[in-house]
Amino acid sequence: MLHAFHERDGFVSEEAIGVVSQALCIPVADLYGTVTFYHHFAQHPPGRAVPRVCDGPVCRLFGSEAILGALRREGATPMPCSGRCDDCIPVLYGDRTLVGRSSATLEARPSPLPPPNPGGVTECVFGGIREPGRASFDGYRRTGGYAGLTSALRYGVPQDVVTVITDSGLAGRGGAGFPTGRKWQAVAEAPGEPKTIVCNADEGEPGCFKDRALLDHDPHAVIEGMIAAAYATGAARGFIYLRYEYPETMEILERAIREAEDADLLGENARGPGQPFHLLVRRGAGAYICGEETSLLNSLEGKHPFPRNRPPYPVTHGYEDLPTVVNNVETLASVGPILANGAEWYRGLGLLDHAGTKVISLSGDIARPGNYEVPLGLPLPTLLDDWAGGPGEGRTIQAVTMAGLSGGFLGPNELDVTLDEPGLRARGSFLGAGGVIVFDDTRDMVEVARQAMSFFAHESCGKCFPCRIGTTRLTERLAGDGGPSELAAWTEEITDIGDVMKSTSACGLGMAAPLITESLLRNFGDQVARHVDGGRE
Amino acid sequence: MADRYTINLDGSDVAFADGETLYEIAERHRKEVPTLCYDPRLEAFGACRLCVVELEGARNPVASCTTLATPGMTVRTGTDKVERYRKTLLELVASENREIDVDPLAGHASQELKALVDRYEARTGRFQGRQSGASREDDANPFILRDYDLCISCNRCVRVCAEREGDYAISVKGRGFDTQITTEFSGPLEDSDCTFCGQCVHTCPTGALADRKALRHADVPGEIEKTRTICPYCGVGCSVDIMTKDDRIVGVQPAMDGPANLGALCVKGQFAYDFVQHEERLKTPLVRGDDGVLRPASWDDALDRAAEGFRRVERKHGPAAIFGVASGRAPHEAAYAMQKLMRAGWGLNHIDNCSRA
Repeated sequence: MLHAFHERDGFVSEEAIGVVSQALCIPVADLYGTVTFYHHFAQHPPGRAVPRVCDGPVCRLFGSEAILGALRREGATPMPCSGRCDDCIPVLYGDRTLVGRSSATLEARPSPLPPPNPGGVTECVFGGIREPGRASFDGYRRTGGYAGLTSALRYGVPQDVVTVITDSGLAGRGGAGFPTGRKWQAVAEAPGEPKTIVCNADEGEPGCFKDRALLDHDPHAVIEGMIAAAYATGAARGFIYLRYEYPETMEILERAIREAEDADLLGENARGPGQPFHLLVRRGAGAYICGEETSLLNSLEGKHPFPRNRPPYPVTHGYEDLPTVVNNVETLASVGPILANGAEWYRGLGLLDHAGTKVISLSGDIARPGNYEVPLGLPLPTLLDDWAGGPGEGRTIQAVTMAGLSGGFLGPNELDVTLDEPGLRARGSFLGAGGVIVFDDTRDMVEVARQAMSFFAHESCGKCFPCRIGTTRLTERLAGDGGPSELAAWTEEITDIGDVMKSTSACGLGMAAPLITESLLRNFGDQVARHVDGGRE
Repeated sequence: MADRYTINLDGSDVAFADGETLYEIAERHRKEVPTLCYDPRLEAFGACRLCVVELEGARNPVASCTTLATPGMTVRTGTDKVERYRKTLLELVASENREIDVDPLAGHASQELKALVDRYEARTGRFQGRQSGASREDDANPFILRDYDLCISCNRCVRVCAEREGDYAISVKGRGFDTQITTEFSGPLEDSDCTFCGQCVHTCPTGALADRKALRHADVPGEIEKTRTICPYCGVGCSVDIMTKDDRIVGVQPAMDGPANLGALCVKGQFAYDFVQHEERLKTPLVRGDDGVLRPASWDDALDRAAEGFRRVERKHGPAAIFGVASGRAPHEAAYAMQKLMRAGWGLNHIDNCSRA
């Protein structure tokens, strides 16, 4: 409802808040506070129309500050990474995204397709995405889409779907890695109706842009996965929670949903005669924390998007306190191919004993950035050098991030890892949503870390103390703005803050943010020393 | 073997009831687990993270206030590790505020942060940096001081306003370090749904929301003495602690254990106590002369005058024109006498009491 006023007026006025408050019986003070939580809700004209320039960690490398400066006359403001790291730099004008490396070359163009991998390695979610016309219902169907779902609906029972997904080893691809089959089983068994399927498309992690590619070019794959989840769990309603920064994707999704409704795949008889599944798209308003599933649920319900205390978990107490599946876009897009090709097929796509694949969003100082679907267990150097062409001419890789920014940095001596959770966790990092940003040897890693920490500080919801205060204190210290000027004391403060954040924060944001400083100290002690001592020997 | 409803708490097996949190159990066993965002009257929030305890099998310490006990849990409440985290957290909290030491007149819970910072020896001056919270000096209401420079965003005020008072007058705006406690459209309390009940003041653990009226007496020398009594206003019977310095009333605080109010008061019970020691307080009856001026009189003269007035109305309009409203501030005996006057004196049932409000 707030979005309707935001779109009509260009900003959310006090009158609009008053009207929505009355209609939805939400106290005015609460609704006002919630509106101020979101980055993209403007409260004054001209508001929405003012250009917003991505100043994420990748766009910073390629000139976002210059564009911001050039567009200042139009009132341009920065926005956190908006998921176009393979085709920088996005600028949001209302509901239009323009991209270009300078303000003079900004143009509207579709988001890039994932580049094919060199060895012809079998893909799951990208298996059909490059087929012409794939984004339309007919094109999707013609290229094998909805086949897995249709046969499951026709010849099986819901439990069969749960079993196949469980056996495939598919796990949450948004970062948490919870086994998808077990989640569905839990929701199927949980008491309470109606149940809900939520697709988490609030891709806010800097350096992650896989969901945008999947939704832009293969929206029906996600819808198919959601219908399968609804069938498996008995859910009658579903939401796609899409981040604000993807307005074109919103249109694509709404069209795809209409097509699926026209084909009776969604609607009153989606799961069989008289068994409905209705699907709606809900738009975020600019808050990284809403990618955290319980914040997302609060946001979806119109509440203040603080994370909820767990347990209880969403599988029993999710949307409107009823059983709810929350799955990532990539997870859901994997379901159709798994139903069509079988659990063994998917399991076999991984290397060694790792099941399946993971999309890596690769960006930064690398020859061929883009989304690559890799077999889990693939050595990182294979991806960086053989698939993506390595760093620029004459340069070496100084660091890569993992999990976007949340996994911190792997230093030059830590790149010999395989891309899978056990391998990366052993190195004090994690794969997460699969964003990998490359920094070559020309980059100032303390400054990169400062930008990263300032992102986390900007996005901290402000509820739990270690994250609210800790992200700010770490940012200040990385900026050389406060904190001890003596290295040992500086390091001790950074380490103590990091420890308390990792161990006591209420959600993943606060637990992950200190991996930035931890890995900075681990790999780039010399740069840190120069930063703290400031040339003082 | 653990029984169905026992957990191991710091080495001892203890029983618990279904639905109890680890914090509640620890509290019952006097473990003195520190908290800042906790108020037993409110739903647990899980923000300050001071109450973290070690739970066997969990990767990280868990917030005891939000963790329900399940049979067989093994919990340690005061290990070196969690005590170290608590100290770091308190150092961080101390670094975001202008000051830690506030006058106890600020509010019932106003000494909580100070007490914990002292207990954990957290006045180390580490983690200096930007301070959070922006005081609202522009809000000139006479009752509630909004000194948000001292705010730690524990949300107790917001929650007590919503959960206990049902006013929803205040909320939280912004996010991260810029989180602020606010009202609708950031206006003054007077323009909000606030009823000035003062509950936010008395749950605030830092004095960020403070009893502005009581703080006028902060500089009065002497110790604060608290006297438990019942609010003299209406019929609810809220328990209050009258605070005095040198036999002068300097403020009122709600009794958190008052059976009728559990820490709640209304604006009258909380702030309207000036009459007790007011210089214009009536000490003798006054009777208006023919010139319209009130003059001191004896009780006999004053009662004669009142009786004459009643008789005049009765003669002119009949007894049905008489209606009695007893003062809520009068004691039971006076209220009884008042209804007796109506019922026995005129045979009327025209009697009410202002406490009905």
